[in-house]
Amino acid sequence: MGSALHHCVIRLHEEHHALEDYQGGVPRWCNGCGDNAILAAVQRLCRDEDLAPERTVFVSGIGCSSRFPHYMRTYGFHGIHGRAFPLAEGVKMARPDLHVFVNTGDGDCCSIGAAHWIHAIRYNMNLTVILHDNHVYGLTKKQASPTSPTGFKSNTTPRGAVLQALNPLTVTLGVQNASFVAQGVDWMPEQLYDIIRRAYRHRGFSFVRIIQRCPEFLPKMFEPWLHDPGRTLVLTHENGLQPSAEVSRIYRNQREHDPMDLDRAREIASAEDPIPVGILYHNPEIPCYEDLRGAGSPRSPERTRAGLEAELDKYTIWPQEDQGKLPQAA
Amino acid sequence: MDAPTTYNDQLLFHAAGTRSGSGFADIDIGSLRPALMAPYKDLDRLRHDFPLVLLDEPGEDGLGLPLSAVINRLALDLAPRGVEGERLRRLLLRLEREIRSLVAQGHAGRLTELWTQALPRLDVADDDPARRVLAQAAESLPADGELAPCDEHFPARAIEQAWRHAQLEKSRAFHGVTDRLMRQLSDILRAAWVHSQAGQQPRALQAAVGAAHAAVFDFEQMSRLVARRTPQDELPAARRKRIEWALDVLSRQAFWPGPRAAEALPEGLRFDDCASAMRAFRERLPQAVELLKAIEIGELEAAGRYVEAEHDAVFAGFDVHSLGAEDFALLPDALVCIPPERNDAAENAGLLDMLSSGMPVKVLVQVSDLLEESAFGSGHFAFGVRSARLATTAMGLGGMFVLQAAASALPSLKARLALGMARRGPALVTVFAGSPAPAASLPRYLTAAAAAKARAFPSFCYDAAAGANWATRFSLDGNRNADEDWALESVEYADDGLQRVVEPVAFTYADFALTDRRHAAHFAVLPRARWHAGLLPAADWLRLTENEAAGKLPYVLAVDAEDRLHRVIVDSRLMKAARACLLLWHRLQEHAGIHDSHAERLLAAERARHAAEATAPSPAVETLPAATTAQAQEAAAPADAPPAAAASDEAWIETVRCPSCNECQQINPRMFAYNENKQAYIKDLSAGTYRDLVEAAEACQVAIIHPGKPRDPTEPGLEELLERAKPFL
Repeated sequence: MGSALHHCVIRLHEEHHALEDYQGGVPRWCNGCGDNAILAAVQRLCRDEDLAPERTVFVSGIGCSSRFPHYMRTYGFHGIHGRAFPLAEGVKMARPDLHVFVNTGDGDCCSIGAAHWIHAIRYNMNLTVILHDNHVYGLTKKQASPTSPTGFKSNTTPRGAVLQALNPLTVTLGVQNASFVAQGVDWMPEQLYDIIRRAYRHRGFSFVRIIQRCPEFLPKMFEPWLHDPGRTLVLTHENGLQPSAEVSRIYRNQREHDPMDLDRAREIASAEDPIPVGILYHNPEIPCYEDLRGAGSPRSPERTRAGLEAELDKYTIWPQEDQGKLPQAA
Repeated sequence: MDAPTTYNDQLLFHAAGTRSGSGFADIDIGSLRPALMAPYKDLDRLRHDFPLVLLDEPGEDGLGLPLSAVINRLALDLAPRGVEGERLRRLLLRLEREIRSLVAQGHAGRLTELWTQALPRLDVADDDPARRVLAQAAESLPADGELAPCDEHFPARAIEQAWRHAQLEKSRAFHGVTDRLMRQLSDILRAAWVHSQAGQQPRALQAAVGAAHAAVFDFEQMSRLVARRTPQDELPAARRKRIEWALDVLSRQAFWPGPRAAEALPEGLRFDDCASAMRAFRERLPQAVELLKAIEIGELEAAGRYVEAEHDAVFAGFDVHSLGAEDFALLPDALVCIPPERNDAAENAGLLDMLSSGMPVKVLVQVSDLLEESAFGSGHFAFGVRSARLATTAMGLGGMFVLQAAASALPSLKARLALGMARRGPALVTVFAGSPAPAASLPRYLTAAAAAKARAFPSFCYDAAAGANWATRFSLDGNRNADEDWALESVEYADDGLQRVVEPVAFTYADFALTDRRHAAHFAVLPRARWHAGLLPAADWLRLTENEAAGKLPYVLAVDAEDRLHRVIVDSRLMKAARACLLLWHRLQEHAGIHDSHAERLLAAERARHAAEATAPSPAVETLPAATTAQAQEAAAPADAPPAAAASDEAWIETVRCPSCNECQQINPRMFAYNENKQAYIKDLSAGTYRDLVEAAEACQVAIIHPGKPRDPTEPGLEELLERAKPFL
C-alpha cells in the first residue's frame, strides 16, 4: 500500500538487532571448528540485513553442521538425516515470506540426501543453502563421507578410502536450473561473509559450499593451503567478489571470472587445486518455484472446502433403488 | 474568354464571401463531401471499428472488441483453411453486415441476441450444415457483450465500461487485502482464546476435537495436561480492543460489496454532474478514514509490530485532512459523465476545482459540436473554447490523467483509457462523438474521424504519473502524421482520359468544415473550365506569407453524390479559422517535442559552435598520454608499499581474518575478546603473559596472532618463548 499513512507508520518504528540478539545456545562445537566461523558470518549477516528473528528459519539435517539452528535465536527446524531440503522446501511453499536458510553437511547433503539435493536445485526455491563440508562424518566420530579424500583412514574405511571424492560444485552446476553456486573456505572470513551475503541476496536456490576444517578428525588436511596462499584461487568480478587490498596482498592468486559464464564456471569447479574461492555462477533470471506455483496464499476453510468439493465432484454417485441395501457385486 | 475578370469574382468571394456572377457551379454544398471520404459512402457495408462489443470482464482485450475482430477470430477458429472454408467465411462476413445494419437501425442488445436475429436474414437453407455451424457458433463466441454503435451515447458507454473494469480490479485487490487481514486477525484472537483459561476447559477441548472422536478422549485429563505446558499469555486488553475494532470495521465496510463480478460495484458511484459527486465524496470521507485506519492497524497487529507508545499518537491524529491521493488506492473511484448539453451548467462549474483537488474521480466531458457558431455570431468560429479546450486547460493544472480523443479513435486508444481508469487520482476524458445530425452530412463516425484527422480535435494523452517531465507524460499517439501540420493522404481518381491519377492531399480544417451544412456559405464550387494556376490546395496556401498569398486562392477537393471530383474555393474567414487550428496543433506538437522551438534553438547553437570548433586547431594531443601514466605511477606507489607497522613490538591480531574459532578465547578470555563482528582482537594486553600470546599464536588456525616483543622482561622462559614466537612476527 502506498498511502501516506502507511509510510508514516512504517518509518516510525524500525527495529534493529545487535549481533548478540541472534545468539541462541552456546555452541558446543570443538575449538577451532570451522562451524564457528560460519556461525559468526551468518549472525553478522542477520544483523547487517536486519532480519527479523521471527521471520527467519534455519533448517538442518543431522550432523555437526546441523546443530546450527540451536545456536541461532530465530526459528529453526532440526530435522532428520538427509532431509533438510524437503523440510526447507515445505516451509518455503507454505510461507514464502520467511527467510529460509539450510544448513547441511557433506554426509547429510551428498550421501543420504543426494536425491533431495538434485531436485532442490531444479526447483530453485528462494533458499540460502550452506554446505558445511568438513569431509568427514564428524558427529558420529570419524566415518568417511562422499567428499573424504582418497586414502582417508576412518572407522568405515580402515584401509583407506577407495573411492574418489565427490565434487559438490560440479554436481550442482551440472543440474539444470542451478542459479547460484559459490565456494568459500572457513579461514578467509571476509570472503566467507561476502559470499554468504550475496547468496542471501540472490533470489533463488543459493548453494554455498564452505570447505571447513575438522580439528578433531582431519586436523592437518588443509595445512598446505593455510600456509601457501597461492594455492587458493580467488575469483573476482564486479558482479562477484571484490577483495580488499589487504586480502589481495596475501592472496595474490586471483582471476577474473564472470559469474554468468556457466561453462567457465564448470571448468573452474573441476579444478581442486588450487581451491577456487568466490562466486562461480550467478544467474538472477531463473524463476523460483514458489512464484510459478503461486505459493503462500492463505488457506481458508472456504478454500479447503472448495478444493474438496471440486475433487469429489469428479465422481458420480448413482442413487441405489433399494434403500438400505448395498448393491450386490455382479 | 476574359480570364482576369472571371478570376476576380473568385477573389471577391475569397475576401468577402459574396458570390457575384455566374462563375460558380450550381451544386448544393451540402451534397458534397471531402474527396478523401469518397470511399466511405455506405458505412454500414464497410468493415470498421464499430459496432464495438463491450466486454463484461476485464481482460487483455480491454473494454471492447470491434465486431469485425470478433468475426475474424471466429473465422480463424471455425473455417478450415483454403478453399473449403471460403463459403463459411463469406457467410460470416455477410452475417457481420446484417448485424451491423441491425445495429444501425437501432436494435440494441448483446451480440448473441443480435446474432440469432440476423441469422434468419441470411439466404441459407435450413438444412444447410453451414447454418447449423453458425447457430452453434453463437454459443461459443470468442467475445460477447452489448453492442455499441458510434452514436451520441457511445462515449458515455465506453467510459463507463472502462471505469467498471477498473473498479472490478480494484474490488478484487481490496478483497484480497481485507480477506487476508481479517483471517489473520481472527487467527490471533482464536490463538489467544486457545491459550487462555477458557480455551483449556474440558468442554472447549471437546469442541475443538470434534464430534467424531468425542468419546475417545478423557477431556478432564487433557485439560490438566494442556494447562500445565502452555504459556500464560493473555492478550493485553488494549491490543484485543484494537484487533476487535479493526475486524469490526473491515467486516462492515460499505465501499465494496463483494468480490464476485455481479456484486462488485457499489451503489451511488455514478453521477451526472460534479456537484453531487463532490457532495457524496465529502459525505463518505469519515468512513474512508476509519477504513484506512482499520487496515493499517490490522496490518501492524497482524505482523506484531504495533508499538503503542509511537503508533497511538499517529492514529489519533489521522483524520479527514490527512488524506492524500495515494490513500484512495483501495477505495472506489467515482464516475461523472456530464451530458453534452450540461457542460456549462452551474452544477459543473467546479469541475476544474474538483480535478485539481486530487479527488479520486473519473470525469467524462462530451463535446457535442465543434463547429458551432461563437457568441459573436456572424460566422466566426468559436473553436469550442468552452469545451474543446478543456483538456488542455486540465493538462496545465497538472497532477492528473487527461485524454482527449474523438469517438472514432476510442477503440484504438482503449489501452490508454484503461490506464487512465486504473491510475490513482483524477482523470479527465474529453470525447467528441461526431457532429449532430441535421447539420452534418455524414454519419457521426465519419465526422468524428474527420475532426480528429483535421487537427480540430486531435487525440492526445497526458499522464502525470508516467514520469517526471513532458517527454514521458505527454503523447500524441494515434494522430496521423503527428510531425506534420496536416495528415497526408492520397486521392486516386480517373482523369479525362480515364487514366489513373494519384494525388497527394492534406486533410485540413477546411475539409472538416465541409462536412457541416451550416458552413456551406464559406465554400464555392468552381466548374472545371475555370480552374487556373492561381488555385492552391488549402494546406499549401496556408504556408504562404501574406505577400505571396495575394492573388492565390485556396481550394479543397470534394466529391459529389456521383463520385465526381470538384475543386471548391474556401473563403478567408474559414482559412483564418484553419490557421488558428493549426496554431493550437503546433502547440500540442511542441508539448510532444515535435519541432520543439527551444530544442531547435539549442541544436542550432550547438551546430554553430561545433562548426566553429572544427576550424580551430586542437590542443596538443601527444602530451596527454605522458601525463596520465605519471599519475598512474603515483597512484600505484602507495598501494605497493606494505604497511610498515608489521615489524612493531606491540602484539596485534589481524582481526579481519579471524574465523571466530574460539581457540584464543579458551586460552585467555580477558586478553582476547570478540568485537561486534565476532572477530578477535587484543582487548587487554596486561591481562595475560607473553606465554599466553605465544600459545595463542600457535593455536590460531589461520596464524593471525602476532605476539610482538615481550613487555615484561622478568617473565620466566622468555628465551624459549621468543624462539617459538619467531615464525609469527
